[in-house]
Amino acid sequence: MTDAPAGKNVGSRQRKLKGDLFLTGRATYFNDITVPNVAHAAVKRSPHAHARIVSIDTSRAAAAPGVLAVLVGEEAKELHNPIPYFIDPAVFGGKSPPVYCLAVGKVKYWGQPVAAVVAETPGDAQAALDLIDVQYEVLEPVVDADRALEPGSPRVNDDWDDNLVIEIPFVEGDCDAAFDGAEHVIEGEFRMGRNSTQPIETRGNLAVWAPDGSLTFYGAIQNPHPLRMHLSQTLGIPETKIRVIAPNVGGGLGLKMHGHPEETLVCVLAKRIGRPVKWLEDRRETLLIGGIENVQRYKIAFDSTGRITALQNRIVANVGNLTSAPGWGMAFLMGLSYPTGYKVANTDVGVKVVTTNKGVWNAIRGYGKQGTNPVMERMVDAIAHRLGLDPVEVRRRNLIEKHEFPYPTNSGLNIDSGDYHGALDKICEWLDYDNLRAEQQRLLEEEGRYMGIGLVFELTPESADIPGTIVGGFDTCTVKMDPQGNVTVLTGVTSPGSGNETGIAQIVADELGVDVEGISVIQGDTDSCPYGFGNYSGRSMVTGGGSAVLASRDVADKLKKTAAILLEAGESDVQLVNGMASVVGAPEKAIPIPQVAFTVYTLNFAIPGIPEAPLEATRVYKPQNIRHTPDEKGRIQPYPTYSFAVHAAVVEVDVETGKTTFQRIGCVHDCGTMINPTLIEGQMAGALVMGIGHGISEEIRYDDQGVNQSNRLKTYLLPRAGDVTSIEMIHQVTPSPFTILGNKGAGEAGVGGGMGLVLSAVNDAIRPLGAAVESLPVTPETVLRAIRAAGHGPGATQPNWPHA
Amino acid sequence: MSDKVPVRVTINGQERAAEVDPRRLLVEAIREDFGLPGTHIGCLTGDCGACTCEVDGQITKTCMVLAVQADGSDITTIEGLANGEELHPIQQAFWDEYGFQCGYCLPGMLFSAKDLLEQNPSPSEDEIRYAINGTLCRCTGYDNIVKSIATAAKRMASA
Repeated sequence: MTDAPAGKNVGSRQRKLKGDLFLTGRATYFNDITVPNVAHAAVKRSPHAHARIVSIDTSRAAAAPGVLAVLVGEEAKELHNPIPYFIDPAVFGGKSPPVYCLAVGKVKYWGQPVAAVVAETPGDAQAALDLIDVQYEVLEPVVDADRALEPGSPRVNDDWDDNLVIEIPFVEGDCDAAFDGAEHVIEGEFRMGRNSTQPIETRGNLAVWAPDGSLTFYGAIQNPHPLRMHLSQTLGIPETKIRVIAPNVGGGLGLKMHGHPEETLVCVLAKRIGRPVKWLEDRRETLLIGGIENVQRYKIAFDSTGRITALQNRIVANVGNLTSAPGWGMAFLMGLSYPTGYKVANTDVGVKVVTTNKGVWNAIRGYGKQGTNPVMERMVDAIAHRLGLDPVEVRRRNLIEKHEFPYPTNSGLNIDSGDYHGALDKICEWLDYDNLRAEQQRLLEEEGRYMGIGLVFELTPESADIPGTIVGGFDTCTVKMDPQGNVTVLTGVTSPGSGNETGIAQIVADELGVDVEGISVIQGDTDSCPYGFGNYSGRSMVTGGGSAVLASRDVADKLKKTAAILLEAGESDVQLVNGMASVVGAPEKAIPIPQVAFTVYTLNFAIPGIPEAPLEATRVYKPQNIRHTPDEKGRIQPYPTYSFAVHAAVVEVDVETGKTTFQRIGCVHDCGTMINPTLIEGQMAGALVMGIGHGISEEIRYDDQGVNQSNRLKTYLLPRAGDVTSIEMIHQVTPSPFTILGNKGAGEAGVGGGMGLVLSAVNDAIRPLGAAVESLPVTPETVLRAIRAAGHGPGATQPNWPHA
Repeated sequence: MSDKVPVRVTINGQERAAEVDPRRLLVEAIREDFGLPGTHIGCLTGDCGACTCEVDGQITKTCMVLAVQADGSDITTIEGLANGEELHPIQQAFWDEYGFQCGYCLPGMLFSAKDLLEQNPSPSEDEIRYAINGTLCRCTGYDNIVKSIATAAKRMASA
């Protein structure tokens, strides 16, 4: 299984640690945790998007079989402080309403928690929900973000003057002058639907109070330490009295970043009844949480060679009801990430974050960059079409060149490194691009078949640190070797199932010269792990990996010092390889590492010069390139690394049904040094297919009264195995100069790429019809509508297909 | 609370009996009454496949069956797929080919693969994709799952 040199784990395709536990059904997830005497919570949710709560009668529910307590918003508000924002818009000059676990006074979205029941069984709790009588005075909802910005539209928050959470400008150069003097200008309006994470494991929380007033909180969550702080603030008890435990997580994808009402709710209910309380999210509840939905009104100027001179974009993001979870920040990133990896001298991008009576946002893998990349790529394709140039050539002329890195962007980012043109060359070679274009033409002319070639560039800033928030860009690792030479790693990063524990163990194994499968990696427990921020922003191997390098090097130094004494060699001549401390160039001088460890622990007084026991080190790793001191324009640089990819797809569009079929998918990915290529390929393939799902079928739809129409996996359509095809993965390695191992984030790239691919490929296929899609997802219905709008198909002005 | 109903099953070769709430789904009884949590709950509507088991030789989404309906049946769960400490060749192939990430969908993927290979020992890629279409995975993009099943097929054919 190993590609790397003998004794080297970093770079190898090490299989998942403890994979057999998962494969035999013995890995513990949230719902598998049982505690004695546990009671179960269920949540009564609003049937209206906007309504005043007139009264709530809980008497029938309270008397129902098995029911232990019923809680409503007015009571709950007295039992906890407002739930702190993961990223507070107020930190950036915006507005943020106080958030409680149950609605107080009025409901602001369909599905908002209004009351909760706690009962002996989940069935009893569910059954009692129907016995809670809530009287509502229904208010006019505001569902559309443009409408929400109009004066006189209904207001989501009664004490606000409008529905604008925050407006963020990203302006550089002189756009007006550039547009005035432009040779060509394209204007467009792009609509991106509301999509969602939908890991196969839903969320869940379990609160256990001890008699001394301390709290143990179990959850399907991504960020145990930050959650501990937020629970402390919400519940008014010190962090020292809270332990947060995240067991194995069945997919995170951003959903399990916290700020959801149920985290607080179970704690309050458990306190109320004096018993542990558990809540497991139903899929209908998971589908209340979405993100990304936005409209972008863009204008792009370019010269007759296809070089982009100016970009203006007005983004309106519909974040629904603002909540404490970090989702809204994705709208910020959509603006910040322009113009991705392209050189554009003049940019004027503005983001309006608008609250409405739609459901809440939370983070979605890609964290907003997938709002930018597909639209930027759409613009570049449009330039190529306007000028009759090849879309690959237009990319070549505008992308940042290899010698220009590090490259400061217009929004103040500093892109660490890259070889974008190299990636373009590789994908074209894989596609056999010129011949493929010829084949596309032949299929159209001779067989009337609509093949599309999609090709997109994707830039993914990763591993963020946002000042003044609990989004940290560093992390901590403890490495311990016991007297028998066994290694335990405790890390502040958590795994949503991505396998970072395996990558971290590979790093430690190399530094300490021990067997990787013998290493125990512990994550997700605030009482045992050092302080860390958990899982988001593709940070786990940058910060978790970097801190593991530093901590294991400290332990390795002690081992080498000890071995040097035992082997009567110079410390710098000792190496730790294959379980042995040995002298370089003299392989007969060697001693097993466990024996070295035992010596440190047992002969510390006996042998002079032996380093102090125990063999333990805790280290923090702060990647370089982050700059929080604002520059002269007030801009900061929150990302250490910028992975990138070029994706391609060959599709066929059935112009009579609108169905798109994938024939080939390929990806050139560059995330710098690869700790484990298999893990990286897995991340990319998963993200790409998630992006393809967002691109082709996934949308949480609402009716005009703000009622969710997509609350089951029958109406919110995740891609299945038969909807996609195999993915050719081509690696390119441009190490980051700013991280200890040269690696970059590798968790988020692909989501925006997949969305962009669908758009680019379908538009390429239907272009001969004069049709174009300017929205996501590109469902069959959307394709047919575009074809019809271009004057083709049944009922259209031109009844005959041009090539059929 | 409803009156409980006796249910007897053979599960992973053991005869078991429990008094279950008649509202209970089979997946809930397997997890809670029979103490086998490897069978997962993802949607409760038959869409995701994380609750898949073999019931009387048929792969079954156990959220679509009431526990009382399973009275008298012979059930194999993911915990019963390996032969003691020796993994089933499909499990081994999923480990070797990194056929899972978070592992939550594995009951559906492993049992669908087993069912496929029993009927078709050398399936094409399309046939593999068709066979696992009833189980959702949000982590892998399915690529390595398809590879795992192809590898398992090859190994089982030469065994």
